[in-house]
Amino acid sequence: MIRVEGLVHAPLSIPLLEIPDGETAVIGPNGAGKTTLLRILSGITLPAQGSVRVEGLPSREQEVGWVGEYPDRNFLFDRVRDEIASPLRFRHLPCSETEARVQEIAETLGIARLRDRSVMALSGGEKVLVALAAALVSRPRLLLVDEVDSHLDPDTVLLMEAALRRAGCPSVIRVTAQMESALRASHLVFLQGGKVIHQGAPDRVFSALAGTAFLPPLWRCGR
Amino acid sequence: MRVSFQGVEVLRGDWTLTADGVFGEGRHLVTGPVGSGKSTVALLMAGMVTPDRGRITRGGEGPLMLSLPFPEHHSTGATVREEIASWGLAADPVLAEAGMLGRGDGELHRCSRGELKRLHMACVLARRWDLLLLDEPYTALDCPGREALSARLSAPPAGTTVIFTHARESLPRVDRLWEIREGRLVDLGPVREAIPLWSSPPAYLRSALDQGAVPKNISVQDVREALCRTAG
Repeated sequence: MIRVEGLVHAPLSIPLLEIPDGETAVIGPNGAGKTTLLRILSGITLPAQGSVRVEGLPSREQEVGWVGEYPDRNFLFDRVRDEIASPLRFRHLPCSETEARVQEIAETLGIARLRDRSVMALSGGEKVLVALAAALVSRPRLLLVDEVDSHLDPDTVLLMEAALRRAGCPSVIRVTAQMESALRASHLVFLQGGKVIHQGAPDRVFSALAGTAFLPPLWRCGR
Repeated sequence: MRVSFQGVEVLRGDWTLTADGVFGEGRHLVTGPVGSGKSTVALLMAGMVTPDRGRITRGGEGPLMLSLPFPEHHSTGATVREEIASWGLAADPVLAEAGMLGRGDGELHRCSRGELKRLHMACVLARRWDLLLLDEPYTALDCPGREALSARLSAPPAGTTVIFTHARESLPRVDRLWEIREGRLVDLGPVREAIPLWSSPPAYLRSALDQGAVPKNISVQDVREALCRTAG
């Protein structure tokens, strides 16, 4: 459980938000504060006011993974295996443990075949999976994913979602611009003007969004 | 402007793209997965990439525009107003179209990517082009922004408009469908005949086809109308 209390940080104003474990999608218009919320949840940004607790602890005291909107802009290493191993190597974990964990997460996400490739030679979807692997190799309590699917086709988004589920991270919160992807999350948060307007099960939230452009096209066509 | 591909091949290591066909006047939609070669086709049409084999012929010398996926790659002004002026346009109509009235004096680098994209598309669509190539025009737009853009792109253009996208949630009405399949650009034909041949239609369109609906075009509105007709 993630608990946000008394949060004030432009453009956000959130008196109370409780996000259950599982896969949460954050949706809303441009400028609603989605990325700002993710940065605060991650501990990258400290809020001007208010608190964030992940299982009762500040985010910076928990293991948190982050995948930004353009994963390849943050790659540090050329080879896929080095990029995935980097968070563990920076912590000076023994080489044998690092190798084993890189192998494990690469197999879980279905990218073991890419380990010796250059990250620059990968497709957009493969780059996202490598960034997810690098974020998940530390076994985070919370994984935050900022709208990487805006650069992916719907079939690749399905692959990414399946890989995330296989990875078994207790809490995944992802900003998405694809409403049909949001529909598949276990929990949905709709932000507008920095405020949480709706949250809950996707069916419930999308029912509340009837008549807006946020309704998944499949729903607008009678499901 | 008419653009013809004759025996075109692009070879990059173990990746190849082949293309044959003619893009005539009207609206064309080119779809395919990420990495399939949509941007390469756009660059070929713009003359910014030369094919390894074959020939591309552009009929006419009118103005050509290639809109890139990232709006910052087109930005030249320091402020929003300067950016609009760099397109030779008056500020207020573009600001209104982009939903940015009152933001003219704002610094361009302080705009969100969604705002930049709306501004860029408003500038592009305020001018007339003989050949307009839109590479991922929906990137960075939210749902209302995508819907508004689709409505705008659904109006018949004066020249040839080609939309390259992997997006499948909000699409405009088009005249002709193309698809990149396993390294080959395939002309599926005029939209109505092409819909049943489309291997990766949007989920709403696939669902409607499964229910026996026959949409006239690919927008959500067309599919809803077809479903109503089917339901009687």
